[in-house]
Amino acid sequence: MKNNRKLTKLIPFAVLSTLALSACESTKVQRIDANQEVALSDKWNGKDSQLVAEAMISDMLSFPWVNDHLKREGSRPAIIIQTVRNKSHQHIAVDTFLNDLKRAILRSGQADFVANKEVRNEIREERKDQELNASLESQNEMGQEYGADYALSGTINSFVDQQGGTRVTFYQVDLRLIDMTSNREVWNGQKKIQKLQERSGYGF
Amino acid sequence: MSASIKKSISLLVILIQVCLLSACNITPLQQLSPAQLAQQGNFVKAKQNITHNYSKTGNERLLYHLEMASLLQLEKNFEQSNTHLSEAINLIESFYTQSISELAMVQFSGPTYTTYKGKAYYVPQIHIMKAINYNALAQKNPSNAQPFFDAALVEMRQLDVFLTGLKEKTGGYTTLQTNDSTASKINEVLTPIFAPKGLLENIDYKDDAYAHFLSGVLFEQTGELDSARLQYERAMQMYDNGFKQQYKLPDLVSHQVSAALARVMQKAGGYQNKLRELKNKLKGKYESSNDHTNVTIVQDIGIAPKRKQLNLLLKADAQAKALIMTPIVFGTTQERKAQIRWFQMLHADTSLFDMIQNYMLGDLGDVAMGTVTKRLPLGPLWDEAVKLGIVDALEFGARISVTYLEPIDTPVKKSEVWLAGKPYTQLIPYHSIGLLTLQDALAQSNSEIRAALTRELTKALSAKKVLKEVGVKQDNLLGSLAKFSTSLVNAITASADTRQWQTLPLETRVAQFALPAGEQKITIKTYLNSGHVIEQSETLNINSNMGLWHTRTFLDTKRDQSSHTLSTLNME
Repeated sequence: MKNNRKLTKLIPFAVLSTLALSACESTKVQRIDANQEVALSDKWNGKDSQLVAEAMISDMLSFPWVNDHLKREGSRPAIIIQTVRNKSHQHIAVDTFLNDLKRAILRSGQADFVANKEVRNEIREERKDQELNASLESQNEMGQEYGADYALSGTINSFVDQQGGTRVTFYQVDLRLIDMTSNREVWNGQKKIQKLQERSGYGF
Repeated sequence: MSASIKKSISLLVILIQVCLLSACNITPLQQLSPAQLAQQGNFVKAKQNITHNYSKTGNERLLYHLEMASLLQLEKNFEQSNTHLSEAINLIESFYTQSISELAMVQFSGPTYTTYKGKAYYVPQIHIMKAINYNALAQKNPSNAQPFFDAALVEMRQLDVFLTGLKEKTGGYTTLQTNDSTASKINEVLTPIFAPKGLLENIDYKDDAYAHFLSGVLFEQTGELDSARLQYERAMQMYDNGFKQQYKLPDLVSHQVSAALARVMQKAGGYQNKLRELKNKLKGKYESSNDHTNVTIVQDIGIAPKRKQLNLLLKADAQAKALIMTPIVFGTTQERKAQIRWFQMLHADTSLFDMIQNYMLGDLGDVAMGTVTKRLPLGPLWDEAVKLGIVDALEFGARISVTYLEPIDTPVKKSEVWLAGKPYTQLIPYHSIGLLTLQDALAQSNSEIRAALTRELTKALSAKKVLKEVGVKQDNLLGSLAKFSTSLVNAITASADTRQWQTLPLETRVAQFALPAGEQKITIKTYLNSGHVIEQSETLNINSNMGLWHTRTFLDTKRDQSSHTLSTLNME
């Protein structure tokens, strides 16, 4: 009986120790689908990049400029991506977003892409090398590059509003497509994402 | 058990506690901090020191990343430095949710056994450091500078989000602070109950004028003039409304920030009325040049003061029906003086009210001792304390540890920018991290000592209860020895939380001036009170986008004495 009472009094200490130890949970890793969203915070993530790219490109290709170009030139328009500036409060891997844009355009089959300046320079170096070292039949000629018809550029902006553990983050992506011959803005798109994050002040 | 044996054990406990306390103070004296090792140029040892003292996954993981980031910045490894800073920011974010189990554990151990969560003022320092690193990376990669400039601005936007939240909590510096300077209050001292009220007024970290100013510089550099104007405007208001006073900064800061605001208003256009007002304020001292580039030099000087441990012995005085705290001072003469002064400043019975109270409770000896003791008269609560077992639990005394800050040493007389062998302009103090650290320690002192008192009493009472539960009779020799052992265990775990980001600078000085584009060799001369001059030279490649330069100047006084100049030049 006496022992039981002693044990009962030790229970709070045991509970407390268990709680303390529960904080030391070991690391666990599992493979998940790359398209599955795992939102650990309100930060810009891979899913946001993919969704925004798909929505914007779908909007871009629904505008009349694609058909106008096809009628006028008889070929698919060629697009070059200039800069997409990150003016948000989060570090966003702009290159990843640009790749998502490219994939969405290429998948649509309605437009082509022209490599950007850095890639073009690398390819030119390669062609120079081919002139010296490759057989005549397999050499690629200089001066046969495909010029871009349109230039795509834009910005990513964000606003944050917070109160205690609640935070609302608003991302806005603005893209524009410019006709490189006439400087006409043939398309202007906008996509907004709003995220709500709630954090508890206390936890185990 | 005879009274003499009890008395002997009591003396033995006090002796061992004193030895333990002194041991706690020996370690920091003999160990050089990562910052001190870095200022000697010993980066390998500095990093070893960090990996030895802090684990990547342990309670001090935040400090691991912060200290590592500082060292890597000094080594000009900006990418790695930013990786650690990003980790640090993620950790601070994750600390928002407090662990209840950890909070409960603190009551039975001590603050040093918990996760170190940093200070509010670390966040702006991290963002500023990251932005400076990105800026340096842009300068290293002029052909691909834009993404780095953009990344620096991302840091400034995150900083803005943090400061907005802080301002909402604290009120910021929206109106003029009516109270006079904190530093003079610190010297006034002495009207304590736990810490005199006046001493702790207007010392909270409410907002950061320097962070807003630097944000303005970075926005201006990338041509985002609206954002730059807003940030300069905020900085100017804050400096004028109390920031300057709180951190003992010169009036010239307001002038320079106003000039920066006038400059971006002029560049952006459309602010004629406001511009006229500003020019009147500057009394014709404002000049703008279209063919010159605006250059900003940021000089981080010295090392912020260290947090150290002040040990107190808590005993119950049955005759006076009071609890008594007495400081046990250790270390060098300077340290002992600092410990006594800190105790007198914040806790000791030095007010007239306390003196009278001591006179009423004790004898004349206590009145004289008033300056080095703190009495907590329990009065009618004494019987309750006896019933609760507090008095009995304090039979062998309890160790209470709180932090104190080493006195701020400002050995810099002035700092100048030299061009073509001639003094060109002065670097002016824009922020004092030293005073910020001190004010933070002062602001925390009340809650810290209360928490320490409660914790030690809880531990003593729990130990007493456990002894009772396991059936050790407390009135015999075995009981006394068991009590003695638990007192010792409590004393060992009673360490104060002296953890801090040790590589932060003491103060930040800034100079803003216009120079023609092209290569310019500049020299920064830092004049110390000792008469020694530290020279740092660098060739700056000035163009329309490259306007911010950062340097860290260490003041190694030991080396000065042996006429070795250490100029840790880190101009990115």
